[in-house]
Amino acid sequence: MPERDGNGKVTSWTPPEAEAKVGVYVCHCGLNIAGKVDVDRVVEFAATLPGVEVARNYKFMCSDPGQDLIRQDIRDGLVNRVVVASCSPLMHEATFRRATADGGISPFYFQMASIREHVSWVTADAEDATEKAKALVAGAVRRVLVHEHLERRKVPVHPDVLVVGGGISGIHAALTLANAGKHVYLVEREPSVGGHMAMLDKTFPTLDCAACILTPKMVQLGQHPDVELLTWSEVEEVSGYVGNFKVRVRKKARFVDEELCNGCGLCIESCSWQNVPSEFDQGLGTRPVVYMPFPQAVPRLPVIDRAGSSPCTFTCPAGIKAHGYVSLVRAGRYEEAFQLVLDTTPLVGSLGRACYAPCEGECTRSSLEGPLPIRRLKRFVADAHYRAADGKLPPPASNGRSVAVVGSGPAGLTAAWQLARRGYAVKIFEAAPVPGGMLRLTIPAYRLPAEVVERDVENVTTLGVEIATSTRVDDLEELRRSGFDAVLVATGTPAAVSLRVPGEDLDGVVTGLDFLRSIKLGEPPDLRGKVAVVIGGGNVAIDAARSARRLGAQVHVVSLESRPEMPAYAWEVEDALAEGVTLHDSWGVREILGERRVAGIRLKRCTDVLDDEGRFSPQYDESVLDDLVCDAVIVAVGMTPDTAAFASRLRLHANKTIEADPVTLQTAVPWVFAAGDVVLGPTEIPSAVAQGRRAAFMIDRWLQGEELGGAELDPVLPVVAHAEVLARWERHPRLEPLAVSTRFAAAPSDFAELEPPLTEEEARLSAERCLDCGICSECGQCVAVCPTDAIDLSGHGREVELEVGTIVLATGFKPFDARRITEYGYGTYPNVYTSLEVERLLNASGPTQGEVALRDGTRPAAVGIIHCVGSRDVRYNAYCSRVCCMYSLKLAHLIRERSGAEVYNFYIDMRTPGKGYEEFYEKLLKEGMHLIRGRVAEVTDWAMSPEEEGRLVIRVEDTLVGTVRRIPVDMVVLAVGLEPQGDAEDVRRLFNIGCGPEGFFTERHPKLAPVSTFTDGVFLAGACQGPKDIPDSVAQAGAAAAEALALIDRGAVELEPSTAFVDAAACSGCRTCVPLCPFAAITLDEARKIAEVNEVLCKGCGICVAACPSGAIQQHLFTDEQVLAEIEGVLAYA
Amino acid sequence: MPDSVVEQPFEPRIVAFFCTWCTYTAADLAGISRLEYAPNVRVVRLMCSGRVDPQFVLAAFRHGADGVLVGGCHPGDCHYQQGNFNALRRFELLRQTLEELGIEEERLRLEWISAAEGDKVQRVCNEMTEQVRRLGPLRLSPVPRPHVDEPQVELAVEVAP
Repeated sequence: MPERDGNGKVTSWTPPEAEAKVGVYVCHCGLNIAGKVDVDRVVEFAATLPGVEVARNYKFMCSDPGQDLIRQDIRDGLVNRVVVASCSPLMHEATFRRATADGGISPFYFQMASIREHVSWVTADAEDATEKAKALVAGAVRRVLVHEHLERRKVPVHPDVLVVGGGISGIHAALTLANAGKHVYLVEREPSVGGHMAMLDKTFPTLDCAACILTPKMVQLGQHPDVELLTWSEVEEVSGYVGNFKVRVRKKARFVDEELCNGCGLCIESCSWQNVPSEFDQGLGTRPVVYMPFPQAVPRLPVIDRAGSSPCTFTCPAGIKAHGYVSLVRAGRYEEAFQLVLDTTPLVGSLGRACYAPCEGECTRSSLEGPLPIRRLKRFVADAHYRAADGKLPPPASNGRSVAVVGSGPAGLTAAWQLARRGYAVKIFEAAPVPGGMLRLTIPAYRLPAEVVERDVENVTTLGVEIATSTRVDDLEELRRSGFDAVLVATGTPAAVSLRVPGEDLDGVVTGLDFLRSIKLGEPPDLRGKVAVVIGGGNVAIDAARSARRLGAQVHVVSLESRPEMPAYAWEVEDALAEGVTLHDSWGVREILGERRVAGIRLKRCTDVLDDEGRFSPQYDESVLDDLVCDAVIVAVGMTPDTAAFASRLRLHANKTIEADPVTLQTAVPWVFAAGDVVLGPTEIPSAVAQGRRAAFMIDRWLQGEELGGAELDPVLPVVAHAEVLARWERHPRLEPLAVSTRFAAAPSDFAELEPPLTEEEARLSAERCLDCGICSECGQCVAVCPTDAIDLSGHGREVELEVGTIVLATGFKPFDARRITEYGYGTYPNVYTSLEVERLLNASGPTQGEVALRDGTRPAAVGIIHCVGSRDVRYNAYCSRVCCMYSLKLAHLIRERSGAEVYNFYIDMRTPGKGYEEFYEKLLKEGMHLIRGRVAEVTDWAMSPEEEGRLVIRVEDTLVGTVRRIPVDMVVLAVGLEPQGDAEDVRRLFNIGCGPEGFFTERHPKLAPVSTFTDGVFLAGACQGPKDIPDSVAQAGAAAAEALALIDRGAVELEPSTAFVDAAACSGCRTCVPLCPFAAITLDEARKIAEVNEVLCKGCGICVAACPSGAIQQHLFTDEQVLAEIEGVLAYA
Repeated sequence: MPDSVVEQPFEPRIVAFFCTWCTYTAADLAGISRLEYAPNVRVVRLMCSGRVDPQFVLAAFRHGADGVLVGGCHPGDCHYQQGNFNALRRFELLRQTLEELGIEEERLRLEWISAAEGDKVQRVCNEMTEQVRRLGPLRLSPVPRPHVDEPQVELAVEVAP
């Protein structure tokens, strides 16, 4: 006899007897089974099966008297194995196992045959049904004879809970659980909790203000000591099982520190771009880049919307925030734009004129009408700042250290600027008589006037930086001795490469660098009426050619490269040719002719410039020659560093550049750094600026004693793809690029600046074309204005690992996409809105402050509300979305109240089933609303009569009257249905649950278990399980919380014992099973060479069992013996 | 043949191995939806289609099944992540083995049926029943069925000393 405790519960099992005695119980299930299957004959048949001692049938086996039949037979010793033929085991296996256990034998001495779902409900012919039922019963009987007793494993349930989704369902579930003393994590992917309910204006049927009833709960949630809110976060991975889930959550980067931010909102006001389409306002309104989605957001923390690095900023070699200053110009904040560029380099004016603008090459707008003139916008802000003649900046406090910078080109000036700002005493040594390097000495004034360079240099000297001109440095040690803590060599490539041809030493032959320098220093040679030949195909050659032209010469350019191959910028070559320069491309120089002075030049045909590996290796055809008569030859065939003096201390490459670590820019001598063209060879200005910046950063770190390697100079996000930006914008207002007006005569005679500046209007219009590729422009205004320094644009997201025992999914719904129904004109006619958009219009904090307005701002005289958009429609969703009739009536009432418009509701049926809903409907009927029963065929703007002109016409069959009507309205509202979230399929895989055919999460049973899922420990709440209104969502959320609490308070959960186990004697150690387990539950005991199953990890799938060659690994409840018995049984008798 | 004997049409017997999470639930859904289908399929429930041992399939044929149907979750949806892929591999090998044994390939069928596809259960059962009906009964040496066939003659067994 079984042992029982004080409550009558069985506490031990009767050991199985040698002879199995099976009891078969066939259920009628009322008429569900008995109406089709002849239950008496099944019982008769069952009695004939070997091992069957008792065979009964009963109306409702699952009822108490039904279960008593089983219990009593066991207690009377008549049976010790039980088979019930009734409904699905997924329904009542647990019930009958319990009954079996109560009877006094192991609950696992039980097997069920499904003769309802699998027989009576699906078989047409009664005879066939009865035969099939017999076969299934036979299978169950044959199987249960070889069942064994098993112990259920108990696992503890972790008391913490994860709630996924922060809408009304998630909030209510979380509060219920937290009020019960459980620690709750609430993960919400938007920046604030609130969900769709926060978007609504009023709720039916009470017409409560949605925010008024929701926000107290949100605040309570945010302040609750047992709730941890993880907003702007998503669940990445879930592992484990009921009671023991491990969840990895990714907290997306807010770029705002949660601890430091006090919610003051100054950053939001300061944002330079306030016109990002607002998701919360359904695209009807705008928000800034740094934003909170709505005023009552919980938590009260802004987030910075960053899609990635904008391509312009990303491409800039110097790291200037190009998008940032464009955005500031657009906002009219020119001084802030200047300061933003200045933050990187003092050379704002120079870059604004002479930079080759790789940013414009990457501008996404290029693929529309043309890129933004980003460089000219930089010039615009530089000119604006310099005109204002600002007061000098006070030099920052000294940090007691000093740095010597050798060379005052872009690299040296930028480095000096960055170091001086950090408090270093900086002295620049410049060999030339004026500072500025190539900017001042080489680039012609028609492109970059000297005054601009001088003004840029002033940005540096104003900080107290000394520049010693006409001072050449050859001895670095001496600088160290005179007290400098570090030295930066940034001497560039001031020396010219020579042609090495006969005649190069004649009078009248100059290098390009010397020629241009003489002009920039105010001593141009007189070339009036002379013929000048410029040798070279690079920018220096073209600059020399165009300068010589302005000095009155007839100019020829001779380049080895063919025109397309010439290294000079293509637009420079074009301009040179337009100015009257003659190009001789693919020619080399054989010799320069003349006695003591240049008289002419002999050219030889160049056939190839680069060899197969792309190295410079010109090939000539000396049989093709040409002579040019000339008075001057300007040689511009290359620039090279002047570093011979440093060769004793520093390591030099073969091309005379200084060897420096590419990341740290440190040379062989620890206190000597090198930057710019002297390291890279001849490059462009922004690359030299970048090196200067990097050098300053590294020198600073080195002098502070910090690690050099591994320090991030410019933390950047990945660049945004052009295609993504273009897809983000549906309509692009066509703004043509401004024509670049360069005025030149065919023979320009002066060095006046060619490119005119942009006017303020041109600058603003150009900046307004920006597509905001990265969304955040990194203009830095929010960073500057934050009183607690809470904003850090280099922030990262991070991952957290949570351990919880139960999970509640409350991920909500998404509205049906009304664009799919083209006949309703959404997206085509401007005044067709979705219900959610109208909610935002009606909401006092929405884009129209509560006004019901058309797109042009006027009030509608008539509004049509179309029900069942995307619902009850075989073409889209067949189901009814449950809330639309009620919210349509609500919107009808509110629209009429606010605007006085005539309102028409077009419905199929009016579904108002909830508490107070019918009464709400009645009340509204008395308000004079028009209700037309019929499915709207189309919304059109094609007028067929004068009253319809300029309005939208709704064409519908009025089924109560029996005619087709055309109803002109001004505004159409589409009552869109509820669909599952777009990523429901992915989410459900994360949590190992299922989705139904419409895509909503599948509940364990639609009637009896609507909040649990087939995965123990995971519960559902709200619209993610199916469309429902707020009262039902809240009720369901409470139910889910209660079920979770039931698990937690029980403390432990019993697992289904269908785990695998190994018969050690039969196991050969072949390891076939080990790699097959998806949960890594099988290991090989190396000592005994036998496989072992970890029962905690084993989930009971049986994959290993099917693979084992020796049958050594078996699965409890589904052993080979048991399954084979069942197969035999279902086939043996019928 | 006497006039009273009517030739019975051949009714195939098909054994189906359904996984609990998807296919068995789909079959339940077919029942709840009252979708009628051919009664020839007898379902054996397993936790996962990956549990289907090739010897189960062979045992089914041996014991008199004319066809075997294996049902699992769609690839990517297996409750145990990859069991259905194991089932697919074994199914492919089995098919080739059965071909060698002269068993037509239509007699073994593998279907992915999700828990929401009650209608697919109906369709597949009907289709397979028809297909196997056209193929006719599977002719293998019969396993003795003492309760249906004639009682076997008892053989004397020599016991070695």
